[in-house]
Amino acid sequence: MTQTAALFRDAYRALSAKKLFWIVLVLSGLVVAVFAMVGVTPEGISILWWELEAPINSKVLPPDKFYKAAFVTLGIKFWLAWIASILALVSTASIIPDFISSGAIELTLSKPIGRLRLFLTKYVAGLLFVTLQVAVFTAASFLVIGLRGGAWEPGLFWAVPYTVLFFSYLFSVCACLGLLTRSGVAALLLTLLAWFLIFGVHTAETTLMYFQERSAYQVESGTRQLESAERALAEALDRGEDAAARRTRVEDRAARLADVQARAGTLNAWHGYLFTAKTVLPKTSETIELLDRTLTVSADLENIDAPADSQAFGRNDPPVNEREVQKRVAERIRARSPLWVVGTSLLFEAAVVLLTAWVFARRDF
Amino acid sequence: MQPLAIDLAEVSKTYRGRVQALRGVSMQVSAGEVFGLLGPNGAGKSTLVKILTTVVRPTACRGRMLGAPVGHKPTLRRVGYLPEHHKFPEYLTGSQVLDFYGALAKVPRAQRRRRTEELLEIVGLSAWRHKKAGGFSKGMRQRLGIAQALINDPDLVMLDEPTDGVDPVGRRDIRSLLVELKGRGKTVFLNSHLLSELEMVCDRVAIMVKGVVVSQGTIDELTAYGRRYEIEVQPAAGASGSLPAALRRAGLAGAAPGDAPRLASGASVEVEGPVLRVGTSEPEAVQGVIDALRAEGLTIRSVRQIRPSLEDLFMRAVTDPVTGRTLSPGAHVAGAPADPAGPPPAEAR
Repeated sequence: MTQTAALFRDAYRALSAKKLFWIVLVLSGLVVAVFAMVGVTPEGISILWWELEAPINSKVLPPDKFYKAAFVTLGIKFWLAWIASILALVSTASIIPDFISSGAIELTLSKPIGRLRLFLTKYVAGLLFVTLQVAVFTAASFLVIGLRGGAWEPGLFWAVPYTVLFFSYLFSVCACLGLLTRSGVAALLLTLLAWFLIFGVHTAETTLMYFQERSAYQVESGTRQLESAERALAEALDRGEDAAARRTRVEDRAARLADVQARAGTLNAWHGYLFTAKTVLPKTSETIELLDRTLTVSADLENIDAPADSQAFGRNDPPVNEREVQKRVAERIRARSPLWVVGTSLLFEAAVVLLTAWVFARRDF
Repeated sequence: MQPLAIDLAEVSKTYRGRVQALRGVSMQVSAGEVFGLLGPNGAGKSTLVKILTTVVRPTACRGRMLGAPVGHKPTLRRVGYLPEHHKFPEYLTGSQVLDFYGALAKVPRAQRRRRTEELLEIVGLSAWRHKKAGGFSKGMRQRLGIAQALINDPDLVMLDEPTDGVDPVGRRDIRSLLVELKGRGKTVFLNSHLLSELEMVCDRVAIMVKGVVVSQGTIDELTAYGRRYEIEVQPAAGASGSLPAALRRAGLAGAAPGDAPRLASGASVEVEGPVLRVGTSEPEAVQGVIDALRAEGLTIRSVRQIRPSLEDLFMRAVTDPVTGRTLSPGAHVAGAPADPAGPPPAEAR
């Protein structure tokens, strides 16, 4: 316990000695201050003492929901999930390379503490940066939403574990690369690259899922159209009318349906590959979406994010109801349980951390 | 017989690239002694200490340290270690450094506080206790490093180049500290290139060359080969002939002028100008020589017992007895052509 406490105390001292730690904290304060400065009035939006007419006003969106929505969209999705996380990576990328640098590691390894415990404690202590940052940001946002919006929403504090969890996926990769390369800069750049790849796989998978659902919808509507055309053809033949035009329409619709079915098959196959790749990778975006989902439910914001009702038709393809497709995509994403999102991501993180710990335990310094 | 603080047999370490840093090192360090390990660069000294402190994993190792097998982590509570070129976190102050490493060594909080104050006083850094270690000079960092190695009041202290970068006053203080530690029954294991310093404080030394211990023992034992007496004479006004001639007349040397002079006891005698060197460590053996020289009318200006220095010993260890060439630095690489001046086996020395 003495050793663990000492390692955590040292991690805090290391962080508080970094200028970037305080800069990020000040920036977090500024983001919260912007929250506090912006308000919603019956006529529109107010910034400090200026009032601007806007379609968003307190009649459409009450102040409590306005602030909660601002916290979710700006605070979480923009600030914590991107800017603050990149700054946190910049601050923490050198933790492991500094820890194993020649002259420093000998002092630590020569103490009566096992290498595995030493590494794991150091790893967890490395998450202190983001934990402190998110905790301070969330607490400040909680106060702003409470004081300005009149809603005291303890559910906002879900942001702390979810953001730390999201950051820990990246930090595990960063720690591994830091150990292998012994360079903070290399670890940072390669982690950002890994993050970009993970984000790319996620974006490609959800995009393919959209087209998959779109194709599925088209297959359904195309099937309905074909059946309708076939019925019309049969009725025309029964009546003894000239059915050449109807026959052509049936053939045309059958050909278009076959095209759409073939495309749906290809999309299904590609989506399957990407989904497999995504399953083994950490789900950074989906973990933040999970937080978004939790906060949206707990803060009663579900109606705000509802997709717009839009209808679009392709030139030759069967018709598509875009709103229905988006709804189906949203349902599929929501059908992915938190256990799957967090569980598979944690499995990835555990595998990377254990591999890193194994290398650390066996390496000569 | 003193119990052994370190008892190693056949310790070997081969790094990647077939670099054989240690090739079957056997070494014994008694409890309560100051032991010095010396050798040229790349001899494997630091690797050996790193194996003892679990920083490096041995390829093979049979041995015990403070009664436990080498690598037994809990035993490190009783060990203090100062690595060469150590680096403290720059954001910690002097007292925070000692507190942090003390906590890692499982020293209770109250004891850490007390020891921190004591040790900073001992190493002369009391005034710097609240200053960041990043601003310390090399000598100050070294002093802080020594304090760090002693924070857990260890039974065995391993210091790798403890006086590196320290000024002469600091070196004297460190020597005094080592003597004090020995007086308190602690075992001190020193790695140093500063042979004169080792000579001043070490009870026993080992010389390591290319991963092999080529000799170990007390300094007296190791330097016995080259002990001699030097007698400097001043010829008297009426004295006849040279020093060799005087020796021959006294019957102490061969009859012919070219004969190698040798005493009846077998000790060699060597003449260089007015200096006579008698190859013996026994004072009785030179009394007859002194008498004979005085009888020849020669004035004895000085009689000194000469013992090879640790540096002589070191140079002998790293010099090929046949070719006279010194060894190239660095570890042994398996499969590489043998060093033309490679280390002769220990028994040859």
